[in-house]
Amino acid sequence: MRVLLFLFIALNLYAVDATLKIEKDVEQRARIAIVDASPVVNTTFFKILLSDFKISGHFLADSTHHKGDVNSNYLLPVLKSKEYVLKYTLTQQTGTKLIVRLLKASDSTEVFKKTYTIPTTNKMPFLAHKAVSDINNVLKYSDISWINRYVIFSRYTTPRHSEILLADYTFNYKKVIIKGGLNLFPKWADAEQKSFYYSSYTGLMPTLYKINIYSGVKQKIVASEGMLVCSDVSKDATKLLLTMAPNGQADIYEFTVGSKAKTRITKFNGIDVNGKYIDNESRIAFISNRLGYANVFKKSIHSAAVSQVVYHGRNNNAVDAYGDKIVYSSRESKNSFGANTFNLYLTSSQGSGTRPLTTTGANQFPRFSSDGSVIQFIKHRGRGSSIGYTNLTSHQSLLFPLSGRKIQSIDW
Amino acid sequence: MIHKSLLITATISALFLSGCSQKAPELNGAQAGKNNVSDATQIASETVTINENAYGNENATNGQKGASAGKYNSSSDGFQSIYFGFGAYGISSAMENHIATNTNIVTNANGRIKIEGNCDEFGTDEYNYALGLKRAKAVKDSIVAQGVSASKMVIISYGESNPVCSNPTDGCYSQNRRVDLRLVK
Repeated sequence: MRVLLFLFIALNLYAVDATLKIEKDVEQRARIAIVDASPVVNTTFFKILLSDFKISGHFLADSTHHKGDVNSNYLLPVLKSKEYVLKYTLTQQTGTKLIVRLLKASDSTEVFKKTYTIPTTNKMPFLAHKAVSDINNVLKYSDISWINRYVIFSRYTTPRHSEILLADYTFNYKKVIIKGGLNLFPKWADAEQKSFYYSSYTGLMPTLYKINIYSGVKQKIVASEGMLVCSDVSKDATKLLLTMAPNGQADIYEFTVGSKAKTRITKFNGIDVNGKYIDNESRIAFISNRLGYANVFKKSIHSAAVSQVVYHGRNNNAVDAYGDKIVYSSRESKNSFGANTFNLYLTSSQGSGTRPLTTTGANQFPRFSSDGSVIQFIKHRGRGSSIGYTNLTSHQSLLFPLSGRKIQSIDW
Repeated sequence: MIHKSLLITATISALFLSGCSQKAPELNGAQAGKNNVSDATQIASETVTINENAYGNENATNGQKGASAGKYNSSSDGFQSIYFGFGAYGISSAMENHIATNTNIVTNANGRIKIEGNCDEFGTDEYNYALGLKRAKAVKDSIVAQGVSASKMVIISYGESNPVCSNPTDGCYSQNRRVDLRLVK
């Protein structure tokens, strides 16, 4: 008896109050309704909330735009079938104020309440993202804080001119950061998104700069004749993967920001570009035409052997990586010109477990989110373009229309 | 004795069990911090806008000047543009006359020559910048092979950024797959 009691106590002594991270499959996503108590209805804001809930993979949001009162606990009978009800008030006068209350639908218990205020109106989409991200955290679902992050992208305006812009992930918010000149290939310099690298082609020598988006302070990093692109940044932000051509031959280099030392990684006499760190930054995945067409290869940073990663497709000219996951864009139509089908595929650095992520249109610029759970891409179909997101766990996808000029390069 | 042991055991177990119980989420946003505005601080912080138009653009109008040396020519200063097949960066035999003309001008020029590689719109821009550079280097190497000093020439790639036309036609795509030459001013 005493032995049993001792064992019972011992097991409890070592029990851990584990916080569960809940991943919901399709049938178990939390059903949520949204009640708008705003004095002036803002349909765009409501749709952004719906998008945030959907792409999280954790919610099934009712698309009905219910109206009601934010302070009362009364819920319409039709809402009682849900699991949660989000009530909110959005007011925009000199700035923007958002009040949210999350109630349990069964008994109107308040689970979460918060007020968000900012002094401007144009950043309204970020309040929606923050609210949904906070609700997600309160309910202890796996992190979706990537929806709060800036997207940075460049686009051509006129020949030899471009601009670099910030956006939220839905592209409802957009702001020009650099206009004029020929400034391309923006790449976030740090996880906090305070600075980014970009290539300036104004002048004889392409030059890589780093700029702080809050202070505007600009720092010259390196210059290289011919071309210069920063394609990846190490997790500790001390090293960069650059495509540069100090002798007129474009190759991938690893560049140490502090000492400005550079290590040449690829030595092929053709085209090697788009280096991305993989496998704990011991290797890179990259695009090369060493087989006569653009394809995905991998190489250890400190040894010479190169191996092919992808064995299908006619032209695999874009790649991104997260850990040992690789996503690439593959041309699957026969024509070199005109409308083509490009589909995205997810694979591993071992080339195993390959599966398609898209099936139609020209899908390009694949990019992993900061946590590797979602892939961003640009889809061209007919005359229109969209920015798309695919949640790799829930398989939910979203598309947002893209207007304006063609995107040259993007990072988030 | 047994009752006392059981009581002690139960008490201790109850203490451990209460420590291990699943806690309900903290409510009313307390975990979000006292100051709601501080959670939106990063959103609220204003970002800059830099206008590089104020600095001018040394080559803003280049490519429009110069006599046309053939059906298409977007080079200037008497040079002739060199054209390439899809995805190619070798000098074709049809372009050898243009290379000869350009070599002659480079030989007699006082200053440096800028050799600009360009591409059509297909493929990613990073790949196209490298492809444009291969084209520019091929032209430079062809001129160097005629005995001109490599230091007289500087190469740069503009990838897809500098189209001379934007029609979705094979004719326009072929005009954009080119190398332009001009004097550095």
